[in-house]
Amino acid sequence: MSNQSLAVAPTVSAALTEPKAVRWLLTGLALAFLALFLVVPLLAVFVQALEKGVGAYWAAIIEPDALAAIRLTLIAAGISVPLNLVFGIAAAWAITKFKFRGKAFLITLIDLPFSVSPVISGLIYVLLFGLQGWLGPWLKAHDIQLIFAVPGIVLATIFVTFPFVARELIPLMQAQGTEEEEAALVLGANGWQIFFRVTLPNVIWGVLYGVILCNARAMGEFGAVSVVSGHIRGLTNTLPLHVEILYNEYNFVAAFAVATLLALLALLTLVAKALLEKKVRHTVKSASKPIGVE
Amino acid sequence: MGIQVQNISKNFGNYTALDQINLDVPSGELVALLGPSGSGKTTLLRIIAGLETPDAGSIHFNGEESTKRHVRERQVGFVFQHYALFRHMTVFDNIAFGMTVKPKGERPNKTRIRERVTELLHLIQLDNIADRYPAQLSGGQRQRVALARALATEPKVLLLDEPFGALDAQVRQELRRWLRKLHDEIHVTSVFVTHDQEEALEVADRVVVMNRAKIEQIGTPEEVYENPTNPFVFNFLGNVNLFHCRGTGSGEEKVPISFPGEATDGSVGYVRPGDIRISRTAGSAEDLPAEIVSIQGAGALPRIELRRLDTGESVQAELPRERYRELGLKIGEKVFIRPTNMRVFVPDYQI
Repeated sequence: MSNQSLAVAPTVSAALTEPKAVRWLLTGLALAFLALFLVVPLLAVFVQALEKGVGAYWAAIIEPDALAAIRLTLIAAGISVPLNLVFGIAAAWAITKFKFRGKAFLITLIDLPFSVSPVISGLIYVLLFGLQGWLGPWLKAHDIQLIFAVPGIVLATIFVTFPFVARELIPLMQAQGTEEEEAALVLGANGWQIFFRVTLPNVIWGVLYGVILCNARAMGEFGAVSVVSGHIRGLTNTLPLHVEILYNEYNFVAAFAVATLLALLALLTLVAKALLEKKVRHTVKSASKPIGVE
Repeated sequence: MGIQVQNISKNFGNYTALDQINLDVPSGELVALLGPSGSGKTTLLRIIAGLETPDAGSIHFNGEESTKRHVRERQVGFVFQHYALFRHMTVFDNIAFGMTVKPKGERPNKTRIRERVTELLHLIQLDNIADRYPAQLSGGQRQRVALARALATEPKVLLLDEPFGALDAQVRQELRRWLRKLHDEIHVTSVFVTHDQEEALEVADRVVVMNRAKIEQIGTPEEVYENPTNPFVFNFLGNVNLFHCRGTGSGEEKVPISFPGEATDGSVGYVRPGDIRISRTAGSAEDLPAEIVSIQGAGALPRIELRRLDTGESVQAELPRERYRELGLKIGEKVFIRPTNMRVFVPDYQI
């Protein structure tokens, strides 16, 4: 049977496809577009960064303010990603495995950070916690500074990256249904055992995928963080903010040198994402076809 | 362990899934809940398991009130329609799961678990597949693994939701015989849900026929097949011919009307195709003239479709092969039929 279909395949595909010239033209157009808008800019970042040699490049990266920016970016991501991992899994677990009122509202709420402009997200925190804000006077009285300080940056980052893990998990867990959990329940497993031994192993690749995307956004976030940070060099500058400052000071080599770090992060993210996507697609496929249905 | 279901009701919004159900499952029996889809049979099974809570009524295990008891503490084994095997675990880990999640004190040690799993794999006749994953098994194998997993914790009650629903005809046949044999060996009180009357009649000790949130009849397979208490059960358990009847004036006896305009008293006679007797000559006044419309000679029981010459209604008949050969019937031939074993109901509701 498979031999037959192999022999037949070429004629079928020839009948189903366009003339050669059209195919080449369309493929060429797509590639040219990709090159112009994606590959060339990416290369430009690296070329500009290395324009004055490796020495200048390296100097820009190990300069104290740059190191402080790297440290702050890692701190912000290091706090917000694990928190959003927990929130995201908890939200997806609640939404997909239980019935309750207001579920649709909760899903909308989780999507809110996607639909709000990042600058607005930042402003919300300034309006809430800033000196002129609602809680500002109380915070000042207790000597707590959130805005124009690290906690504000972390808060803004958490808000902006909140949906990534949950959004990734909800469709996956919905496709998997609750039968396996029910089976575990009848077999005597308690809630934690069901979660760690049945639910989590089934979605682990989806979780990793969500974390990778969440991390990329957390490290690259500009708008929201820019509003709450105050741009204090060496103190409240994250990597994207540091790039902007250097650029505005016409320090192009340094700006692009620091930018290469973010570009490398993006490339790494893409590779990890591509690898994980395969795994996730596989689990979704086996989930949408429940085990046992022939 | 016996199960007593008392006055159980369950609604999903405006939809009534179960309406005051009472049912007694004696210890050690294999009981089938049989009904069309939407009759509430799966809901009843899930309530017995504790996966659903009833709106009213109570469940007793061996006379002990268990309605409020948590699923974990009911000691039931449940086999899901699509098996719900843990897809990321091997067959071994699937079967061992119930034992490994027990609290530290009650948990059997590793060797004991291994022994028990090997024992169960042997019981389901799949000794060599312990290291495979569910995706690598056939439907029939998955079903048996699901059963072994449910049996691993030595449940007091085994509940099966459409256990053979997703399998092809031959595996189905094989597996249900196997389940019957298995039950005869281990005698655990079992309830299974099915919409396939053949399956229920063949496997169960007792059949509970359900329709529209209510129980229509409870009885042994023979009882429900031979003596259905109402038209629904009659209809649901096999093919049936309907004869409009009239009273004869002598007590309860009814006879089929024998010409189109004849007045009926509203009663309807139900006759299984196997209970239609065909003959060439009229033996008595009760014999009805009919013409043979089609013959399906293949199969264990040749099926004859006839059209009554008096009322024009069509009638299905099944003959034993021997009788079929003896008669040598031809299409278009005129014969006489006599309904035997007729059950008469005065319809009080539409089917």
